[in-house]
Amino acid sequence: MPEPESDLLSDWLRRAAAATPDAPAIVEEGVEGDRVTSFRELFEQSAALALRFVEHGIQKQDRIALVMPKTTEAIVSVFASLLAGAIYVPIHPRWPRERIETTLSDCAARLVIEGETEGRSHPPRITDRQTGASIPWQQAPTGLTNTNEDALPRAGAADPAIILFTSGSTGRPKGVVLSHRAVSAFVKWSAREFQISSSDRIACPSPLGFDLSTFDIFNMALCGATCVLVPSHIVWMPRFLVQFARQARVSCWYSVPSILAGMLQEGRLAEHDYPALRVILFAGEVFAARNVARLQAAVPHAVCANLYGPTETNVVTWYRVPSGFDESLPLPIGQSCPYATVTVDAANGELLAGGDSLMTGYWGRDDDTGRAFVTVEGKRYYRTGDRVSLAPDGKYLFLGRLDRQVKRRGFRIELGEIEAALARHEGLLEAAAVATEVNTNVNVNASTTVHIKDGRMGTVITAFVRARSGGAVTLLEAKAHCARTLPPYMLPDNIVFLDALPKGSRGKIDYIALGKIAEALEYSELDQEGLYHGS
Amino acid sequence: MGVKTGEFEADEIKPEVRKYVVDNFLLGAQRATIVEDATPLITGGLIDSIGMIGLVAFLESRFEVEFMPREIDVHSLDTVERIEILIRKKWAGREAGSDSGNAQQSR
Repeated sequence: MPEPESDLLSDWLRRAAAATPDAPAIVEEGVEGDRVTSFRELFEQSAALALRFVEHGIQKQDRIALVMPKTTEAIVSVFASLLAGAIYVPIHPRWPRERIETTLSDCAARLVIEGETEGRSHPPRITDRQTGASIPWQQAPTGLTNTNEDALPRAGAADPAIILFTSGSTGRPKGVVLSHRAVSAFVKWSAREFQISSSDRIACPSPLGFDLSTFDIFNMALCGATCVLVPSHIVWMPRFLVQFARQARVSCWYSVPSILAGMLQEGRLAEHDYPALRVILFAGEVFAARNVARLQAAVPHAVCANLYGPTETNVVTWYRVPSGFDESLPLPIGQSCPYATVTVDAANGELLAGGDSLMTGYWGRDDDTGRAFVTVEGKRYYRTGDRVSLAPDGKYLFLGRLDRQVKRRGFRIELGEIEAALARHEGLLEAAAVATEVNTNVNVNASTTVHIKDGRMGTVITAFVRARSGGAVTLLEAKAHCARTLPPYMLPDNIVFLDALPKGSRGKIDYIALGKIAEALEYSELDQEGLYHGS
Repeated sequence: MGVKTGEFEADEIKPEVRKYVVDNFLLGAQRATIVEDATPLITGGLIDSIGMIGLVAFLESRFEVEFMPREIDVHSLDTVERIEILIRKKWAGREAGSDSGNAQQSR
């Protein structure tokens, strides 16, 4: 299909439904076999639901929270929200209830759509948060007429389409507002660059609340491609993910490197053939060059590309992995995408990103929004907080963070948020968290026995706490407390109780000293009593 | 119990799993930390998604079983007790010669 002029994400679905009504838009695995939703069905169901929203009094720019896994119903909800001119706010159903409620309040969600299970057995529940009234989730009446479709309001391309909540350093998640145009800039480019067409079957195991999920859902609508939903119960089961990629004949894959690393290692990706797989994209964290080379060797005919960009900017730079990639060199984040402008702050090496994909701002946080942007020569840039260097060949290299934000399995985590959560426990006085990179290539003292624990590759988070004296907070209680307040990906791997947190002369926590203890813990440089005697 | 696989007796499942959890997910824990039969491992914040990959790999190799997608989830792996039930079920299925897992695999 030729690319449409419109940057309205909802227009794309309308157009695909008219052009290829019977083509498969979504394939979802069910208990009784695959469930296929055509473009006509997807559009009719979404438009009918959008009309019910409008009849209920939903206004343009109202927030509709989707507390559901990435299912067919969730995608119907996405397009229904957009067709109603509303903003959708994806929230992972496995977040602790407290965090879900805080997020719903923060964005003042008008409606909440909840759906825990995949498959058709339990239709989602739609609730009006102001009145408590519910809106029925029902199948669309067939043969939607143009007349009632005209009752739907029309958003503008600059209007917000999505709010994505990410970790906030002060302990409250921040809502990144992305307009239709911002999402469109990335999706249209990716469709062109990777030649996505109606014959493609796109899979992206990331949850809806992850910016990666703009790729599969909206390329489906833009290009008439098929969105092949990865069952959420296999996302972290590499053997079944590999089987899925093969059996579902996935042609475009987009995920965080952690998932691909698991597929290479435990999933034995290299032992099978993937004739349909032609594009493999990854983003969200650093992918070890060794694994990139292994991936390329396992699927030699596929284009592999590293996409880079924080949620606030979506993808702004990219790097196509050349054939025969040299694994002794770090994987670059590459060059800027054509819709983006990137530059480096000479003072600290920080990458500044601007252009069409930039967020509108943080929802309801003008101060934070003001601090996030900088104007250079009349252009607005987002301060990424990422330190980069520019190689002679014009490709950017990621060097590290300028602050205490870490990436773990592609999820972005402010260590301050973990500290704030722990410090809220009445039995704990202080908390400090550090991140450690664990890998098998580590050099430790030859006299030390190294034992790396199972499932502990990549970024490991260790929290140190000082308990109230005479208190009875156990390790299990501290961990359970975190599980009640933080999403699963943010839970510290280790919690260590100390009588006092090490501090510098000015009373600031000595994170370097804590980092050394955390490393010792990971590599078992501890004595029989679990104590560290390092320098 | 008479059920036995490889070198393991059924009543050895719990101590083996408990030891694995303590060795891998409770680093630097005080000796007093005890993982009870009903201690929530995943919903209690001890084991996360990556940890689950390791746990599943451990269970499969140590107890000579092979899980299928819908057999394991946060619920069935959440406590030492439920893990024991899961392993016993797999063994029982194999004893009965109706390893549903293998049948499903070739779908």
